[in-house]
Amino acid sequence: MTSLALQRQQGNRRTARRLLLAVLAMLGFSFAMVPFYNVFCRVMGIQQDRTAVADAPVAGWQQQVLFDSNVAAGVPMQIRALDARREGHAGGLMKARFELRNLADTPLGVRAVPSYAPLSAVRYVEKVQCFCFDAIHLAPREVREVTVVLVFKSDLPATLGPITLSYTVFGLDGGKQQTTATAQSIAKAAT
Amino acid sequence: MTTTTDALNPAHPIDHGHGADHGHGGHDAHDHHHAPAGWRRWVYATNHKDIGTMYLWFAFSMFLLGGTFALGIRAELFSPGMQFWQPEFFNQLTTLHGVIMVFGAIMPAFTGLMNWMIPLMIGAPDMAFARMNNWSFWLLPPAAMLLIISLFVPGGGPGAGWTFYPPLSVQLGAGMDFGIFAIHLMGLSSIMGSINIVTTILNMRAPGMTLLKMPMFAWTSLVTAYLLIAVAPVLAGAVTMLLTDRHFGTHFFNAAGGGDPILFQHVFWFFGHPEVYIMALPAFGVVSQILPTFSRKPLFGYVSMVYAVCAIAILSFMVWGHHMFAVGFPATAQLFYMFMTMLIAVPTGVKVFNWISTMWQGSMTFETPMLFAIGFLCLFTIGGMSGLVLSLAPVDIQLHGTYYVVAHFHYVLVAGALFSLFGATYYWLPKWTGNMYSERMGKLHFWWSMIAFNITFFPMHFLGLAGMPRRIPDYALQFTTFNEVASVGAFLFGFAQILFLYNVIHTIRGGVGPSPQRPWDGATTLEWDVACPAPHHTWTEPPSLALVREGLIAQGLEESTHVEELK
Repeated sequence: MTSLALQRQQGNRRTARRLLLAVLAMLGFSFAMVPFYNVFCRVMGIQQDRTAVADAPVAGWQQQVLFDSNVAAGVPMQIRALDARREGHAGGLMKARFELRNLADTPLGVRAVPSYAPLSAVRYVEKVQCFCFDAIHLAPREVREVTVVLVFKSDLPATLGPITLSYTVFGLDGGKQQTTATAQSIAKAAT
Repeated sequence: MTTTTDALNPAHPIDHGHGADHGHGGHDAHDHHHAPAGWRRWVYATNHKDIGTMYLWFAFSMFLLGGTFALGIRAELFSPGMQFWQPEFFNQLTTLHGVIMVFGAIMPAFTGLMNWMIPLMIGAPDMAFARMNNWSFWLLPPAAMLLIISLFVPGGGPGAGWTFYPPLSVQLGAGMDFGIFAIHLMGLSSIMGSINIVTTILNMRAPGMTLLKMPMFAWTSLVTAYLLIAVAPVLAGAVTMLLTDRHFGTHFFNAAGGGDPILFQHVFWFFGHPEVYIMALPAFGVVSQILPTFSRKPLFGYVSMVYAVCAIAILSFMVWGHHMFAVGFPATAQLFYMFMTMLIAVPTGVKVFNWISTMWQGSMTFETPMLFAIGFLCLFTIGGMSGLVLSLAPVDIQLHGTYYVVAHFHYVLVAGALFSLFGATYYWLPKWTGNMYSERMGKLHFWWSMIAFNITFFPMHFLGLAGMPRRIPDYALQFTTFNEVASVGAFLFGFAQILFLYNVIHTIRGGVGPSPQRPWDGATTLEWDVACPAPHHTWTEPPSLALVREGLIAQGLEESTHVEELK
């Protein structure tokens, strides 16, 4: 190897090392954006820190929420609201539990679909976490406790009256049919 | 591309038996006169031309696959109601169409072009790290396989859109994990490719070719590679956070755990907006090579072009919020992102006017590459203008998530990036294959693509203005006619690309006859000083100062007196 080539190779390696450092720095930056984002939002008052919601002193009036639950026809399971009636506050958090019970000797896939009454409550109540977000797979005869966590907006009006949040549990059969249909359509696309 | 390994450029005889290290790292004992034959040539490839060729074929096959998905979308949207697919499969089609076109077709195609052309254009024997180059390519086929396999796992492929917004992307099935790993692999490939390109351009230029005398394509490649080094790790970080949210109990984007789904949009678009320029800047470079050649005039305002590229790259880091006007920014933030975005129109305008000035009073001829370059110029400007409309925060809140956005980014990515790639292929195909393509077929491909493209995407502006949302498998009846037109256009456009494939294969097999070393009158960059087809190893000895200067004078980058002094 000539000295020119050797020099060039050393130069190349030096450049590559610097670029690799830049890559690692940017990877670190992507994760550093997480704490930075939280701080930025807090300082700007753009969005309240969600973990702080639970601890904040609650000044609003009491808001009553009733939890209702149903099972669609033909789904072999029971759902029971463990906290059928709860009280929350404007700007505060509320957690409610439900019990799901698979009555069949076979595994069961279900999905819960929520609905509000009165409908105008949707604007003021935000589901932060909900068992209705995901499909639920129950083992034969399994009993499982699931939760929903709600946040009440701070501008929740006192005149709303009690809110009813109702869940209806549907089987995933419809979903299964759709999955099969998807597989068929892929096969169709392939041919 | 051929095995005429040592067909040397007769004008510049090179002592090729020994001496110059040709990029194999100096540790290879094998005789570079005989490239390995058969599959080994490709799997063990370290030659920049072989790797470039593989990149280009890979990108083209991904282009056909992504195009097939697009036709699946347009078939479903031909009429309202559900025809062919279930809604969730439709979502998978739009997602995979986006991911495959962005990461599988456009980006690898440009990387392939850079691999092939950068060493030839700057007078380097190969890329700086030939083995890493091999690795960056061979990560791509497994990534593509992951995306294809994802369609067949329970729950189907990733259906959250190419932007992978949570919470949907956190809730989807295993297909999403395949998508995430595919993005990891493609990101790794881009990073290694970019390190290679930056190092090659910074350290391996021919004598006399200072940075401000490089061909524009080298400049845009350099800036693109820097952008990728800066943002590909950010995308990797974003999808890694998705992955840990999905499987390892973190709550980066989970509101219940104190996270925030909006955070993902910030991280994603910090990558995503520079990504737009990663796909657009190399296209600018290609057009900046083609327009001067067929106008037989040097590029107008070379230095301002370089500064414009750099300005666009820097500004691209400060505008990501314009993708998120609808998330509820405070007015200050909206104004900041709006004005920064509008500012990008200034350097872009500089480029457009420079290209027009390059053609002004030139001796223009309209071969296929030139047609694609002019098509690029017209349609990219339309895409830029609709982008300017979208940059206005109050307008964007109205148009957010409508077909207007779809029309906008297809004008910049199809008529922009893709047309420039077609132009580049026809421009350099004689150098790659040694044969001339059929001008008649090339022109047919251009006009067919040009007309079909506009039939497909122009109506989408009106659909968006009328309020048709994107990413839906079904739509309100009043949108029917324009959707029918768009679907017909899409199938026409799709079939035009089969013609492109035919043209390329026809040229490889001989075309309309062998090409001279310099098939274009006004071509003055260094790649035209090597034989045609380009031998397997080129510039093993750097081009002489006189040769480099000759080109630079023709490009209007140096005064002729310098050469006279030299002589």
